[in-house]
Amino acid sequence: MNRSRGKIRPPRRGLATDHVDFDEYWEVLAQSLREIYAKNASHLSFEELYRNAYKLVLKKHGDRLYGNVKKLVGEHLQVVAIRDVKPLLPSSIVTGDVSFGTATTERRTVGTKFLERLKFVWEDHQLCMGMMKEVLMYMDRVFCADHKIPSIYVACMGLFRDHILRHQEYNIGNALNNVILDQIKMERDGDIINRATIRACVYMLEGLYETEEELESQKVYLTSFEKNFILASENFYQKEGEQLLRDCDAATYIQKVDKRLKEEYSRCHDTLSVLTEPKIMKVVDQKLIEANINDVMDMEGSGLRFMLDNDRYEDLKLVYELISRVDSEKKSLKKKMCARLVAIGKEINRSVSTPQISTAAGADGTGDASKPSSTVVSEEKAANNVTLLAIRWVDEVLALKDKYETLWERSFDKDKGIQAAMTKAFTDFINDFERSPEFISLFIDENLRKGLKGKTESEVDAVLDKALTLFRYVADKDVFERYYKKHLSRRLLMNRSVSHDAEKQMIGKFKMEVGFAFTGKFEGMFKDMNTSEDMTSEYKKLLQESDSDYKKGVELSVQILTSTFWPVGGGGENDHPCIYPPEIGAVRDSFTKYYLDRHSGRRLDWRPDMGTADVRATFKGKRHELNVTTYGMVILMAFSELNPGETLSFEGIRAITSIKEQDLIRNLQALAVAPKTRVLIKKPMSRDVRLTDVFAVNEEFTSKFMRIRVGVVATNRAETEQERKDSDEKTERYRGATIEAAIVRIMKQRKLISHTELVNEVLAQMGQRFSPELSMIKKRIESLMEREYMERAEGERQAYRYIA
Amino acid sequence: MSTPSPEDQNSILLVSNDAHTFILRKSSVLISPAIKSMLDKKSNFEEAQFNRVVFKNMNGVVLEKVCEYFYYREKYADAVGDVPDMEIPPELALELLMVADFLCT
Repeated sequence: MNRSRGKIRPPRRGLATDHVDFDEYWEVLAQSLREIYAKNASHLSFEELYRNAYKLVLKKHGDRLYGNVKKLVGEHLQVVAIRDVKPLLPSSIVTGDVSFGTATTERRTVGTKFLERLKFVWEDHQLCMGMMKEVLMYMDRVFCADHKIPSIYVACMGLFRDHILRHQEYNIGNALNNVILDQIKMERDGDIINRATIRACVYMLEGLYETEEELESQKVYLTSFEKNFILASENFYQKEGEQLLRDCDAATYIQKVDKRLKEEYSRCHDTLSVLTEPKIMKVVDQKLIEANINDVMDMEGSGLRFMLDNDRYEDLKLVYELISRVDSEKKSLKKKMCARLVAIGKEINRSVSTPQISTAAGADGTGDASKPSSTVVSEEKAANNVTLLAIRWVDEVLALKDKYETLWERSFDKDKGIQAAMTKAFTDFINDFERSPEFISLFIDENLRKGLKGKTESEVDAVLDKALTLFRYVADKDVFERYYKKHLSRRLLMNRSVSHDAEKQMIGKFKMEVGFAFTGKFEGMFKDMNTSEDMTSEYKKLLQESDSDYKKGVELSVQILTSTFWPVGGGGENDHPCIYPPEIGAVRDSFTKYYLDRHSGRRLDWRPDMGTADVRATFKGKRHELNVTTYGMVILMAFSELNPGETLSFEGIRAITSIKEQDLIRNLQALAVAPKTRVLIKKPMSRDVRLTDVFAVNEEFTSKFMRIRVGVVATNRAETEQERKDSDEKTERYRGATIEAAIVRIMKQRKLISHTELVNEVLAQMGQRFSPELSMIKKRIESLMEREYMERAEGERQAYRYIA
Repeated sequence: MSTPSPEDQNSILLVSNDAHTFILRKSSVLISPAIKSMLDKKSNFEEAQFNRVVFKNMNGVVLEKVCEYFYYREKYADAVGDVPDMEIPPELALELLMVADFLCT
């Protein structure tokens, strides 16, 4: 080889000199390409073909080469369309007449064959084009890139689209769509189809584009097949929705829908394209869920109501899931569920408000001898029954709450929105029932007096928490506070509380929930109890020191109550003095003096209506210790003055003791009527105490117990009708005062404020305790203006000014 | 340069138009998309069957340089830092340029 170093030697076969005859080269190439189609590539030299194409491009014959290849491929595809595809075109489908008498199996076979042929033709085209593309690589790389035209592969894919799918004579693409739709319909109807074949054809549609830019959104699959599929599916599910609604119960309906969703999902992944998934899901969502779900939930005997009432967790879960698909807020589910919840809640409210139940449930304490004949007794008895009702109400509401809580956890995915809706439903029906604060307090009362005896700490905690759950729903917290105070005071004074720890625990829970302001008075009550104890012992010590005769006297135990903490109201000595026997009166005076010495400026009011006393008495030589009320003691002391056989009339007793008529009746009832504690006898013998009755000591009284508790007919725990009216009035008064206080507070701070602003402020401040009515606030504002705490601001509409 | 036998599937025989033969590791020549396509078993052209490519447009000198480049390229493909320049005799430069274009390398 002659090589002269240092010079750049021109290539052997120069560019200009070597003439290339296009036709000659092309003929070779064309022949080879045909061989490729005929699967005879094995005896072709790639290098030769490649070099030929290279030369043609190099010699500026690129465009002719490109055109000729396209023409060759196009001609071949036309042959393929007629020779290979056309014979298998399913005629019935081409005409669009799917229902034309052909049996499903036959249609399926014909369809599948057609799809398989198309799949074969496509795969062959892809294979051959792949090889040609490689042979013509130099053309693609140099000619196509320079001229910015699509690569030969892309161009030939377009040819396939035009010559096969959009064949001028036989609408192969249309037939393909129809066959696939037909097969999918078969599958939806429960037949088995060859998914893989369809998948292959969908691959083909996905591999083809409308234009040679090959835009993702221009896939033939999307432009020609998908919209037909969605349309067909819409029709199908429209009909199916109507049919299912007619034929199925709610549970079946939602299960079918769920199955359809899963089917469509797997269809998109196994048969069609994942691109379609969101779209077809939307069709199912719309046609099967959105359109019908309300009807389904309303289905008589199997709808939402049935599912809720019968704890159909799985079904409800499905309902929830389906609704979540179409409405992220699940409005209709929430609405319907809450409606049912409120309905049940109101049913519970009604069941405890019906009067005949309240008398039927009289299995408490007082014994069967004292049938409710006297008005007082029957009222007391009703009050007892109310306790039972209260407990039943609380239990039922809690059971309902538990039930829905479980549903919420198991079926509703702990959905926050649903929880809020449920809370609202509970709040609605609990506050719809005006006795709910009283009932909840009674429930706690009952448990703290009896129910919690012998329970472990965690059990106690659980019960208290239950009560707290309901407490949270109560809007009128002030009403509850009043009842709780009343019940708590009775527990403390009568020493009925099971455990002070539990009491404190409950108060602690309230404090956590609504703050110190709410529980301050409860805590004050506890403090009073402690100081009382200290004071009693201190007083006793003082007496012992000053009086050596002390032992003979009356032993006094005091409970000093701060009147603002305790719901004691009127009824003390200051309202209605009681005449004590002298020995008692002396002790009373002695303690009053002791107390007032220690705390000057205070006022001490004695409450004989609330205390108890232990009295020793001898019947038939047997000594008994009678535990009676203070009034009871005063009455018995009156009898102890008498000689054997002497009697006292009702009026006589009243004159001696000056006890109020109602209290007197009540106490005499206990002493002279109740069979086990009948230490007095009464003439005439009857079950109720009349003003004309005459009483004497029952010398024949016997009891096997040494110590006898004379219960004044049930220290009423629940309120009687009259009491309730009173306490409602009290509430109104109290609220009025609270609102006024709030208004003044706000005015003092703001000086000038518009009406709406003021009302809103008041509402915000009161919200924790109760929800005041607007009319009430207005009234209070007017009242304050009358009393010149504030005035209408001049020149401004609807505004007030504070008057200092 | 190791000399793998042409029967070995991991090696390849390259032949120039003046009948010089070069046996190369197959992995090295696959750098050229053109040669890679030639050896594609799927399309199964002559070259793929016999593991042998004849380049009618290259003489031994050029092909030798091409082979040298293949190995050079493979050796330093993943190298970081300094890579020594490959020596190209100026008189071959133009011809090699055309061959490179032909082989798409």
